[in-house]
Amino acid sequence: MKNGLALFLGVFAIIAVSWAGVLLAAHKQLGSLSQFRDPTDDTLYPQRMSGLADEGRMVYQDLGCATCHTQQVRHEGFGADIARKWGQRPSYARDYIRDKTVLIGQSRMGPDLRNVGVRLGETTSADDYSDYFYKILYAPESVASGNMPSYKFLFDTHSTRDRQPSYLALKLTGKSAPASGYEVVPSYRARALVAYLESLKDTYDYPTERSLNATAGKSTEEGH
Amino acid sequence: MNPIDKNARSEQAEIDASAKWPVLVFFAWAIWWLLAGGVLQLVASVQLHSPEFLAGCAWTTHGRIVPAAQNALVYGWGMNAAFAFGLWLMARLSATTLRHGGWLFVAAKFWNVGVILGILGILGGYSTSFELLEMPRFVTLILLIAYAMVGVWGITTFSIRNTENVYASQWYLFGAAFWFPWIYSIAQIMLLKAPVRGVLQPIVNAWYVQGLYGLWFIPIALAAAYYFLPKIVGKPVANYYLAPLAFWWLAAATALAGGSRLIGAPVPVWVSTLGGAANFLLVVPVVVIALNLFGTLAGNYGALGRSITLRFIFLSMLGFVGASILNFALANHGFAAIAQLTLISDLRDWLILYACFSTAMFGAAYFIIPRLTGREWQSSSLVKTHFGTAALGIGLLVVALAAGGWTQGHMLNNESIETGSLFGEMARELSVWFTLRSIGLALLLLGHVAFLINFGFQTWAMFSKNSKVAAFRNPPALSLTKVSVTEGHA
Repeated sequence: MKNGLALFLGVFAIIAVSWAGVLLAAHKQLGSLSQFRDPTDDTLYPQRMSGLADEGRMVYQDLGCATCHTQQVRHEGFGADIARKWGQRPSYARDYIRDKTVLIGQSRMGPDLRNVGVRLGETTSADDYSDYFYKILYAPESVASGNMPSYKFLFDTHSTRDRQPSYLALKLTGKSAPASGYEVVPSYRARALVAYLESLKDTYDYPTERSLNATAGKSTEEGH
Repeated sequence: MNPIDKNARSEQAEIDASAKWPVLVFFAWAIWWLLAGGVLQLVASVQLHSPEFLAGCAWTTHGRIVPAAQNALVYGWGMNAAFAFGLWLMARLSATTLRHGGWLFVAAKFWNVGVILGILGILGGYSTSFELLEMPRFVTLILLIAYAMVGVWGITTFSIRNTENVYASQWYLFGAAFWFPWIYSIAQIMLLKAPVRGVLQPIVNAWYVQGLYGLWFIPIALAAAYYFLPKIVGKPVANYYLAPLAFWWLAAATALAGGSRLIGAPVPVWVSTLGGAANFLLVVPVVVIALNLFGTLAGNYGALGRSITLRFIFLSMLGFVGASILNFALANHGFAAIAQLTLISDLRDWLILYACFSTAMFGAAYFIIPRLTGREWQSSSLVKTHFGTAALGIGLLVVALAAGGWTQGHMLNNESIETGSLFGEMARELSVWFTLRSIGLALLLLGHVAFLINFGFQTWAMFSKNSKVAAFRNPPALSLTKVSVTEGHA
């Protein structure tokens, strides 16, 4: 090779083909994916995120939660995501159009969080959920085992003398409880983050997506 | 010394003199980032087996330290080292001096101020959380402007070349010089400036990450291998006629391989299938490059003992082959079902960045810096320490991440371990591998400190009169009579 221009054109063509072939093609296919109107209850899915939850998404981003947590439920037969009840169904591309920033993650040091707003076993009340999330952020060892660090800096500890106790104060027991006369209260950022975590639930199963996302069945026909 | 040799020597000295300060400045920045990134990386690794470590402060929480370390190593160490090496080699191979090098100081300053702001931005809570694009939006423009200056200098040096032929290392440098700014600006636009919707974001991100490793770091490392190996061994590259094929094939397939990072993710299946297929196609260029490089070394393994540069380049070649094999394996559905989203996928990227690219840059630095300062490396034991810790550290990290990742993948997929206790058990099972990784990273850091001290000695020696002045052996003459395809080595 001696010709600089030929080299340049080749180098350019490689990126041009890759950009058009991967990114542009994917954009053409998915770029205009819209909410789905459910014919029975006349509601649009995926539903919009609340303002507080969207602020929580930014907290999730800035704290780097995606370093250890994924947000993608892989399909049956590829990993144990469904068996672990990390979702009742695999994640669809349409689920993500409500998220301004899509962080499907690349590492599972911790559990998948895509449906964390709906899968705490028997617990159903909203208060129980936020209680659990506050506790795992403030003192992870009090509710779960593992190597999740504490996010104490998202909480204020202050004296209850001369003031009304906060209705948001964490009900902590044992080692993680504050000294008597003190209470631990989640900051605004903590509340936003928890609102975001509670919003993570892909419970609606799109009739149109189910068939699109099904894995190809085993062929029953043997060679003629 | 015959007159031709003498001419070649004085021409090289002139090129080296023109490149001296810009290259030394880039190397100095690179080494500083290598240490800063190494410390952050070690902290992040320790946090995995002692979660309370530095967890009390938002600035040092694990989720911020990890991207900060990664960005410091990629944009701080990796880019600066690549700039230093790439500019020098481009000048040498184009047989022309690096003109108006003063502007490169401006570029170095802009680039590094940009990276410092970016890292502080991540630690301060402005991370975007997109892999390798975590630095806040405002630094993008600073980085692109600084890069433009470096890139333009490299390309200009190439276009005023005084050689007839263009050598393999130049193709790789030339390609990388264009690929990086293109993929970087495309990713910035599609993710941050005018964000695409939904899962297109992870697709763009995966495309960028694969491109950054495969179309920037690997080409730079290969440029070093293609240059130093024949030069030091004194033999033309074996089967050189295949090298252009490998170059085009490697680049074209890598550019399409990004989707393989998304196997099983909620993206259209063709994205990951295309990526997987491209990864399978990569086997051909990897084999050709291995033939080129190991073929050149074959029968000359004795030369490894005589040259520290060659020893590092040899590590880099092993790293390249290792990373390629792992990349290939991760594109395989069955393997990905276990290994994806575990420490093994971290290992793939780390192998490229460290075992393949960084070692090549160490080798290059040991060759280039004495030629710029005119002084020998002051301490050979520090050089040995650096190489020893690098080899041992790489070994430890490969074992730790591979074994740890394998265990992690199997535990994640094992339904009989209850989800409630899974991560507790996993933390216990993996703690030995996390500890091993911390030891490996500490060893590498030790080697980097040795490298820094030696580099400091070097620059100090430049200004003192009674230090060892370097006397360079001429590289062994290439046996041009036998094979005529050795294109212009400067």
